[in-house]
Amino acid sequence: MPEVMPETVVVGAARAGRFATVLIVTGSAILAVVALAAIVAPLLTGWGPTEIDPLGTLVPPGPGHPLGTDANGMDVWSRLLYAGRLDLGIAVAGVAAAVVAGTALGLVAGYLGGWVDDVLMRVVDVFQAFPTFILALAVAALVGNGTGNLIAVIAAVNAPAYARLVRAEVRTVRESSFVAASVTSGASTFGVLWRHVLPNSLTPVRVIAPLNAGWAMLTLAGLSFLGLGVTVPAAEWGAMISLGSPDVVAGRWWTSVPPGLVLLICVLGFSLLGEGLQERAEAKRR
Amino acid sequence: MSPVDPDLLSIENLSVVIRRPGREVAALSDVTLRVGRGEVVGLVGESGGGKSMVARSIVGLLPGGSHATGAVRFEGDDVLRMDDDALRRHRGHGAAICFQNPRGALSPTRTVGRQLTDRLITHQRLTETEARRAAEEQFAAVGIRSPRRRLGAYPHELSGGMAQRVMISLATGCAPGLLIADEPTTGLDVTLTREILRQFRHAADTDGRGVLLISHDLASVADVCDRVVVLYAGTVVESGPAARVLGRPAHPYTRALLRSVPDVDGRAVVATPGAMPLLKAAPRECPFAPRCAHATAECSVDRPLPTPVPGATDEWSLACFHPRTDELAFEEPAATPARATAAERAVLEVDDAHVVYRSRFGKGGHAALRGVSLRVAAGETLGVVGESGCGKSTLAKLLLGLVPAARGDVRVAGSRMSDLRGRELRRLRTRVQMVFQDPIGSLSPRRTVAEAIAEPLRALGLPAAQRAERVAAVADRLKIDRSMLARHPHELSGGQAQRVCIARALAGEPDVLVFDEPTSALDVTVQAQILDVIADVVRDPSRGSVFISHDLATVRGFADRVIVLYLGRIVEEGPVEEVFGRPRHPYTRALLSSAPSLGSGFSGPKVTLTEDLDDTEAAATGCPLAARCPFAADRCRTEEQQLRPHGTAQVACWRVPEIPDLLKGSDIRV
Repeated sequence: MPEVMPETVVVGAARAGRFATVLIVTGSAILAVVALAAIVAPLLTGWGPTEIDPLGTLVPPGPGHPLGTDANGMDVWSRLLYAGRLDLGIAVAGVAAAVVAGTALGLVAGYLGGWVDDVLMRVVDVFQAFPTFILALAVAALVGNGTGNLIAVIAAVNAPAYARLVRAEVRTVRESSFVAASVTSGASTFGVLWRHVLPNSLTPVRVIAPLNAGWAMLTLAGLSFLGLGVTVPAAEWGAMISLGSPDVVAGRWWTSVPPGLVLLICVLGFSLLGEGLQERAEAKRR
Repeated sequence: MSPVDPDLLSIENLSVVIRRPGREVAALSDVTLRVGRGEVVGLVGESGGGKSMVARSIVGLLPGGSHATGAVRFEGDDVLRMDDDALRRHRGHGAAICFQNPRGALSPTRTVGRQLTDRLITHQRLTETEARRAAEEQFAAVGIRSPRRRLGAYPHELSGGMAQRVMISLATGCAPGLLIADEPTTGLDVTLTREILRQFRHAADTDGRGVLLISHDLASVADVCDRVVVLYAGTVVESGPAARVLGRPAHPYTRALLRSVPDVDGRAVVATPGAMPLLKAAPRECPFAPRCAHATAECSVDRPLPTPVPGATDEWSLACFHPRTDELAFEEPAATPARATAAERAVLEVDDAHVVYRSRFGKGGHAALRGVSLRVAAGETLGVVGESGCGKSTLAKLLLGLVPAARGDVRVAGSRMSDLRGRELRRLRTRVQMVFQDPIGSLSPRRTVAEAIAEPLRALGLPAAQRAERVAAVADRLKIDRSMLARHPHELSGGQAQRVCIARALAGEPDVLVFDEPTSALDVTVQAQILDVIADVVRDPSRGSVFISHDLATVRGFADRVIVLYLGRIVEEGPVEEVFGRPRHPYTRALLSSAPSLGSGFSGPKVTLTEDLDDTEAAATGCPLAARCPFAADRCRTEEQQLRPHGTAQVACWRVPEIPDLLKGSDIRV
């Protein structure tokens, strides 16, 4: 009989669940810094976002103007800070509105099924038949400029995706025995939806929403770049990039590169957050 | 190097600890077992005991983060220390595994024939045509009818039993030395279970193959195993010849397991309190000691190691300081006092109910219930049995008002369900409550235990303070610890969750309780505990109960009366002693004949049906069983059968008077 080997055989190390936490913390930290800077902007700069320096346009970065001034003589650093209020605010509010509207639609369509489902989903189909950005352009052109309108545009182009997502989830959840148990306990349809179906159908929404907020910022910046976004001269990163784009060719990088970078960092923050939430949801499933 | 004639498989002192960030589990501790050629070894115990971990270690599939010591020798070579090439050869050729969920283990986008021929071509180096012919033979060998046609089927087109047969043919296809079956019959009907287990016995008897049969179902494996190994919390507690270990067990855990299993002979179930611990490190004391009635101080200080039983000549060994030597005694079935039900208040009446599931496109539809009538009086328990697909679950849904009756009606406490709408319907629904098969799945993951139990009370419109009072009262009755009320379902064990579900069902003081396979998802000893709870609950004189199960033994323990369903029709109905003791319908007799038993089982002539339920084309006319019934005559195929009284029972078969004679004849297939 051969000797039993004393040493331990180790099978590949399990993947650490901490990765998800790192992603979530990093993403949230980036966004928190940008949001905080936007909120306390008056403390970080002496200039207002649309205040014109009568002494000069296109002043290079230096004392007085840490990031120089743009073609209108407005301070780039302060515009950069103040723009966060509009960009983050519109993106987050727009996505939040999309989540609420889309979830409500998906919940009703998925749970009731039948002709209600058919009608609602055909409407969703129509919205989803257009590329998102083209749809955003069309809606923006239709409703015009303004913060409220931009939130509506972001909500309108994104809600259909949530409706679909939630509907699919609801159709699984409604078949589960805890829903049957609730129905047979005499709960009303609204009670079943609100207390059982809704809370158990939101997992994918939690993952998609942050990623979506990142895309929404890009959509918003794109609209502004094309002149369909915020009203000039309001401080907004897309509009700043648009305004500064002719200067880059002339070597005056400071007017459009900083807003571009900040936009990139914010989208990165949202992506990391969404990525982390997904990672965590998967770890839980395992 | 290697010994001259090593065992086929020999596991020596295998310990596996799974280390993951934040948690550590001692899955196996010092497990030693062997499987010889031509031998079927049963590996039994409850979930969490380490059964699947043993299987995974044999094919070199331990989960990530495992730290293993000891050796898993297959024909002398240690599987734990094989390199990738050797492992690839070992899997499939050396040891092959049959998974628990065959439909999940088969690739859904390839035909089953393709999956088998692919293996044969790669491993056996057969040509395409040879492989097809071999595959056809393999299919025929595991009892698949019209194998040529089935080769072209996709997994979703197969029934559960058929898929398991395909799985067996895949596993045996490359002639492995060892076949591992991980809970191969979970979720299958009694009639199929027997047939599938017979396939494993057959696999061992031909080609001198070894079979390791993993199961929690002791009664089923008892027939086919040569030896049995009992696992508890990752340790081997008892092992030896099957007849010895299951017939005259000496370890208190084995005895507790056997006592927990209901049996068709109607003996009383004895529950063992507590549940299996999840160990963080290899135990230093006897892991069963906290639950053991015979434990002494010694048991919680030192761990007994498996040692041969003195005087035993047949490799019987056990790990216990205080082995039991007396016969395992069972209490006689408690005589149920005959109840005069006719005069009592009927709480549930179903009259000639038909349920049809319409297909979404086109006209057709599937008739799940065809003319079922029943009556449950207050204080009475009605058992419902039958194979899966016979309409048991549809009947439950009908009683709860989750599916509408296409014809006929359901009356709860005198009110007709189809007459009511809105608030009144919701009120009536609270009068019928169900306990579901999957306890954790029937609790909303994001609601606490207290909220779950209060659900029916909320529908009754009780204010929060009264709800809390009632929840506490019902929790006390079911011995649910108050601290558990704030927990969420994922923090509960299966047994705890099922207690919560029963509490929820009871909270609104319903007139009717429906139990739909309430224990089939639970472990054996936990099952016995829950059966105790249910036995207490159904005794309430104010309400009636319906107990649905494919497990005849469980039904026998509770029911006053029983109905036997087959393809949506009642084929036999009557008092439980009558139906189980003197089955008159061939279908009832066949069900009882295939029920696994550790005790005396079903006495009397046995009947085996000729085909699987899934193969049967639903006949348009005549008796639905005609295609499978060994006693079918021409009249059966043309004439619809109605329930007619025979003694105290009612049976839908015209041949009842002739059956005793037919049973004596030669056409009994056993």
